[in-house]
Amino acid sequence: MQVSAIYFDGETARDQQVVLQRAGDHLVFSGPATPPNQWPIKGLHPIDEPSKGQPFRLTHEQRPGARLVVRDQAFIDDLLEANHFLRGGYGWRHVRQVLGWTVGGIAVLAGLGYLTLSFLPQQVAGVMPESWRNRMGEQEIAGLIGGAKRCSTKAGLEATTAIVTALAEGQPDIPAISVEVYDIPVMNAFAVPGGRIVITRELLKAADTAEEVTGVLAHEIGHVVHRHPEAQLVRIAGLNVLVSAMTGSNGGSVSSNAAGLAAVLEYSREAEAEADAYARETMQKSKIDPMGLKTFFEKVLKMEAGDKSTPASKGNDNSVFAKLGKAFSTHPGTEERIKLITPLPDGVSPVRIMTSTQFQDLKTICG
Amino acid sequence: MTDETLPAPVSIPATTTSSGGLAPPPVFGKVGLPSEPEELKFSYVPRSGLWKLMFVNLLLNIVTLGFYRFWAKTNIRRHVWSCVHINGEPLEYTGTGKEKFMGFLIVFGTVLLPFILINAGLNIYLGPQNPALAAVQFIFALFIYVMWGFAVYRSLNYMLSRTNWRGIRGALVGSAMTYSLLFFGSMLAKGMSMGWATPVMNTVLQEQLVSDMRFGDAAFKFKGRAGPLYPTYALCWILMLAAFIAAIVAATGFASSFGNLKDLFKNAENSENAKAIAGAIITAIALLLIVSLLVIPLIWSIYTAKELRTFATYTRFDGAPFTLRASAWSVIVLAVINLLLLVLTLGIARPFIVQRTVRFFISRLSLEGKIDVDRIRQSEAKMLKRGEGMLEAFDIGGFLGGI
Repeated sequence: MQVSAIYFDGETARDQQVVLQRAGDHLVFSGPATPPNQWPIKGLHPIDEPSKGQPFRLTHEQRPGARLVVRDQAFIDDLLEANHFLRGGYGWRHVRQVLGWTVGGIAVLAGLGYLTLSFLPQQVAGVMPESWRNRMGEQEIAGLIGGAKRCSTKAGLEATTAIVTALAEGQPDIPAISVEVYDIPVMNAFAVPGGRIVITRELLKAADTAEEVTGVLAHEIGHVVHRHPEAQLVRIAGLNVLVSAMTGSNGGSVSSNAAGLAAVLEYSREAEAEADAYARETMQKSKIDPMGLKTFFEKVLKMEAGDKSTPASKGNDNSVFAKLGKAFSTHPGTEERIKLITPLPDGVSPVRIMTSTQFQDLKTICG
Repeated sequence: MTDETLPAPVSIPATTTSSGGLAPPPVFGKVGLPSEPEELKFSYVPRSGLWKLMFVNLLLNIVTLGFYRFWAKTNIRRHVWSCVHINGEPLEYTGTGKEKFMGFLIVFGTVLLPFILINAGLNIYLGPQNPALAAVQFIFALFIYVMWGFAVYRSLNYMLSRTNWRGIRGALVGSAMTYSLLFFGSMLAKGMSMGWATPVMNTVLQEQLVSDMRFGDAAFKFKGRAGPLYPTYALCWILMLAAFIAAIVAATGFASSFGNLKDLFKNAENSENAKAIAGAIITAIALLLIVSLLVIPLIWSIYTAKELRTFATYTRFDGAPFTLRASAWSVIVLAVINLLLLVLTLGIARPFIVQRTVRFFISRLSLEGKIDVDRIRQSEAKMLKRGEGMLEAFDIGGFLGGI
């Protein structure tokens, strides 16, 4: 079958009339202004999917700029009949390709996600220089405490020192920490980068024994030891980068509040377990009654169950504090964490951390 | 890789073909070697398949968490381009999703990622309030403003070099950096003149852009003055001012219907008064928003249409001028419906937005005069290897009507 077709050679815009025919596994065409061409059919590419009544446009892999336009429907049908690959459209090959890319893409993303959110933060936090940690801690405290007053009566500070001393008794390699009490009407305690631990007035108010406060502090020191606060900040920076990569924007809004987010985001269950383990171990070694930690956890659980709203005194309930209140919320596993806390072995008598007067001084450190 | 650098390994002289001598070719229409100049007629010939494209794109965008967007845009262009016929021969879009993706990755890695890392690092280290952070952000913002024109130019260059007609591709042969500096300067000039430099600046920018445009080895030219644009510009500027004043007057009037504002503010502790103040402020803001988001763009459509028409007549291809039949009303209808489509479908209807925009221009555009098309040879401009990375990274891809 010989048909007429139009040929563009990709070098000029001239449309060249050619006579086209199929010769075995070749398309052969030539015209008055076109020297004879032979295109092997297996190298053909359809420009668009063929559709009835529309000219069929072809190119060849070895002449990517050239175009052959066939209008004869019988010729097109004939060609397509013998060469299904020219039909284009979506076939199993495309489905497999898309599936492969998608699965591969998700695997890469998951890998990147694991790296940036789980693996890298802890590594980076481990090698972070002291000055960086301190700076980050200052930023986080400045961002979170706001205008809250730092409570520092002499007697109260002596009491916090007594707690740290008691904890260091059986755990000599305890990290350098500073304990700071702030006049914040929400019950919370948290560690920030650089080994600073913040306790709120409301937490001291809720504590009934020195062992309870000591337990909470031991837990927070656990976070300091494992550098969880530093890791949290790195994690947020990483999250920011991931979000930017996915959306193609610079995602500045996430990073601008990194310090705030770091404190508000809960630690992973593993991080809490690590901090708990450190607290239990330290209290056992230093012969401090671990039941203090236990009763305090139970107190939090009970309070959360009874009253959803965190205790807040008038007028001071700004959003950061409201968010802080959530940090102690009963995420799943709290009861399991409580169960892991065991009393001192028989025959070991717990040490006395401070006198009851000292404990009262601590409780009233904010006046 | 361009095809003209390749030998033609599949082109075999007839004398050596096994298929024997071909029958003498029948003579069709104008096969004689001397070519005749012809009129170019633009038309948009819709093809089916856009709905299918929309759903496939949506599905793949979802399963790939948005990373399919580069391929999606490419597929849309390929479809819409193929509906644009010039003298019966369709345009062809030859870009690939991979090129766009690679372009994005490279700009992301060299521009965005370093900034994000520096920003995040400084943020953590110095805190969000530190002036150094503001300085870094300012420098980055300045960089984006200075490079904006660069991104637009490169994007257009990519699109033109991936647009074929009769096997010949377009090109933008000038310097993207020159255009970018001009673009940045024009933004400053427009701002400092309260907008009044706009017609002059747009004319200069358009001349720079169009003079660099080629189809094959045939050049586009742009020549004309900004003067004829000024009456329309003045009209729109005054209308805009009037609309703002009217909105402010209306807002204050409406707000004072809640009571005497001075007294209300004095007794703001009173909860009734506080409510009234809130009501007044919300009403005022709503009015101003409506005016600035709806009325002002409608007013400026008059100027946009005038500019489009004027620039079309200033533009010549191979000596022949263009005309564009675009009234202010038609521009408004195009913009409003496109915006509604974009917002109401959360961007899913993007293929139709691109179609509408391209169809708008193609069906209203004509070239007055005859062109000796056969004489046009392939462009020798270097083709960009990767596409539009910067425009994608700056997230202003939607800037050109979603195309």
